[in-house]
Amino acid sequence: MYGGGNTFEGIKNDGLAQENPEKLAAFEARIARGEKIEPTDWMPQLYRKQLIRMIEQHAHSEIIGALPEGTWITRAPGFKRKMALMAKVQDEVGHAQLLYSAAETLGKSREQMIDDLITGKSKYSNIFNYPTFTWADCCFISWLVDAGAIVNQLANAKGSYGPYCRALDRICAEESFHLKYGHHCVIYLATGTAKQRAMFQEALNRWWPPLMHFFGPSDKISAHTEILMRWKVKMSSNDDIRNQFLDMYVPKIWELGFTIPDANLKKNEETGKWEYTEPDWEEFKRVINGDGPCNKERLEVRRIAEERGRWVREALKSPESAYVMPLA
Amino acid sequence: MNNEAIKELLYKMADDLLILGHRNSEWTGMGPLLEEDIAFSSMAQDKVGQSLALYQLLHQLGEQDPDTVAFTRNAGQFHNAIITELPNAEYDFSLVRHFLFDTADALRWQMLTRCAYTPLAQLAAKVRGELRYHTLHANTWIKKLGSATDESVSRLQHSLDELMPYALGLFEPSPYEADLIADGLFQGEAVLQQRWLAAIESVLAPTHLQLPDVVLIAPVVGGRQGQHSPHLQPLLDEMSEVFKIDPAAEW
Amino acid sequence: MVHSLDPRVGRLPTIGTPGMVVPKVPLDQLGTFEVFVQPKEGKPFQHEGIVHAPDLELAYVLAKETFTRRFTCTSLYVVETRHVYVSPTTEGGVSVAAVLPAITGPDGEPLSFELFMLPKRGKQHVHIGTVMATLPQEAMHRGFQQNLHGGKTVYNLWAVRTTDIRFTTPEEKELWLTLPEKKFRDAAEYKGGDKLKAFLEKQRP
Repeated sequence: MYGGGNTFEGIKNDGLAQENPEKLAAFEARIARGEKIEPTDWMPQLYRKQLIRMIEQHAHSEIIGALPEGTWITRAPGFKRKMALMAKVQDEVGHAQLLYSAAETLGKSREQMIDDLITGKSKYSNIFNYPTFTWADCCFISWLVDAGAIVNQLANAKGSYGPYCRALDRICAEESFHLKYGHHCVIYLATGTAKQRAMFQEALNRWWPPLMHFFGPSDKISAHTEILMRWKVKMSSNDDIRNQFLDMYVPKIWELGFTIPDANLKKNEETGKWEYTEPDWEEFKRVINGDGPCNKERLEVRRIAEERGRWVREALKSPESAYVMPLA
Repeated sequence: MNNEAIKELLYKMADDLLILGHRNSEWTGMGPLLEEDIAFSSMAQDKVGQSLALYQLLHQLGEQDPDTVAFTRNAGQFHNAIITELPNAEYDFSLVRHFLFDTADALRWQMLTRCAYTPLAQLAAKVRGELRYHTLHANTWIKKLGSATDESVSRLQHSLDELMPYALGLFEPSPYEADLIADGLFQGEAVLQQRWLAAIESVLAPTHLQLPDVVLIAPVVGGRQGQHSPHLQPLLDEMSEVFKIDPAAEW
Repeated sequence: MVHSLDPRVGRLPTIGTPGMVVPKVPLDQLGTFEVFVQPKEGKPFQHEGIVHAPDLELAYVLAKETFTRRFTCTSLYVVETRHVYVSPTTEGGVSVAAVLPAITGPDGEPLSFELFMLPKRGKQHVHIGTVMATLPQEAMHRGFQQNLHGGKTVYNLWAVRTTDIRFTTPEEKELWLTLPEKKFRDAAEYKGGDKLKAFLEKQRP
């Protein structure tokens, strides 16, 4: 589950001057023709660096994203929910596995990425730094955070890097279950008892602001990404993705009779764009830099998991097998 | 056919699978390797799925629906062996428990493919692929870690020693043992235990692990009669936390 | 101990020092293995991705749930990545057949090789057949000679010695027996439409 945003800070194009102009032209022509880049192709350093950064953040978001929902596996009400949630959170771990593998084809090892996650050097989706107080919070994530992620992932699946596209095709196919399951859970809360309805309304109130953050800072304040758009690394602007999501899901939330906690939220029928209260980007920055309600817990849990698994991995190391970069 | 005997058999199997599936699912997102995290979760899902299928058979025999049975009983009404309810501790513990339990479980299901109660025999035939994977997974891991580093061998040995008395509790005889055998429902816990021991021995043989002498071990029993460790009730409270907000509601 | 709303987190043991990360040693995530899946009986195997594992057998065990838990599958195999021979990658309608120099292997007992082609950049490698050769590059060449690629443009070709593969045994085919019945992982199982409709009708004044 990854919504984009905060991925492409501080891009300097000057590095391109050092690239071989003929190779660069051939590379750009291939992308312009709509052909994918494969791992053994020549690519500009900036392309490699930004892709690693993006795919790695996506992978981290999956493995960290498994935690706020994972906490409800042992409490999911009834067999149907229990089994579905187990499979759903397992998929998130599986997505991390696929994405780390895709990033590995660019030359960064999985252990290095996991280290960078735990030390806080690389980031993950901000939204997972918020706690899930009730079962309804978990349902909110399964439905709406996954929905947001799918909008972003479908766009990215049309990008230029072959291994990332392959991983995303697979991920999107699996996510269709998440989305349906999440919506199903919310329909049951919405049509259930007063207590169930109130549970979801409260979750919606808590999660709406982080969900608006999920798609990344407004285009007005976010970094310059033209070259990444041309290289099909970034496929849509943050605001476009956010708008697409609002277009698809606000009506569905309203249909269930819930109130979205933003009095200014409405669609401008002339522009076709949604209008909303500007999200608090200062909070976004604060949380992404470590000061959210759950940042410490998430990283600490990941650190403990890695530490506890250390003896297993050490025992498995053998001269029989060798690390090689994945092929595709 | 003795319905009470069948129910007792179904309940203890279903409860074992539900409780251990629940315990194993706690590892999701926290496993030692991403790939193993995924594998362990799948097997937990299989277990909970098998328990559901068994509760459905019980429902057909007049018991309450699976959700009510699973989410509203107290510890004293559960028939799982105590080994399944013990907290997870470290991965060596969970892996050894998985090996000891799933070996027994696979053999039990295999015996039940010839069960005179047809619905159970059919279910046993259906889940054989899942069990093949569970034992392949367990055996491969035990063989690997059981002959790897000093630390992995001593961790596994320690867990094996700790778990053996509980594992023997899996074969606590049923009050209906004679009926089950006479009616061609199940060949009995004694036969199962014998086969299990042989299977465990053959997997451990090529490793550096020592199988404790079972003759000298007092099995930890009582689980089948509803006498549990202090760990089961908190597990059940957690499992039913949301369900019990309103058991009549649809979730 | 971590203070958390998550009961699982509350049960975690104390290990190391909070915030103190012991860096991973290189290769902590083990060797690399390529995974191929047959989605249906009669369909070719296709490349699905990789797993990290210590050996071929555990790679097979881990690949099974990593890659075949969700969509139809009849068989699976794995091979260590370093045992895959890779051709150059081509572009723009040029086939590997055009850039691969013809090569004849030395005399000797020929070995069996499996060939996998990339039909389009960004797609997956697909198994196209088995050839006998003494060298991988010779195997690729023979694959083209025998038209295993069906005349299609091949953007990349892999050759793997058959004996390097951990196949699914005939008895293991039952591993996927209940896969179609695991409806709880199936989007089609979550239809809330009727409940929603009834709810909306009740809301109407």
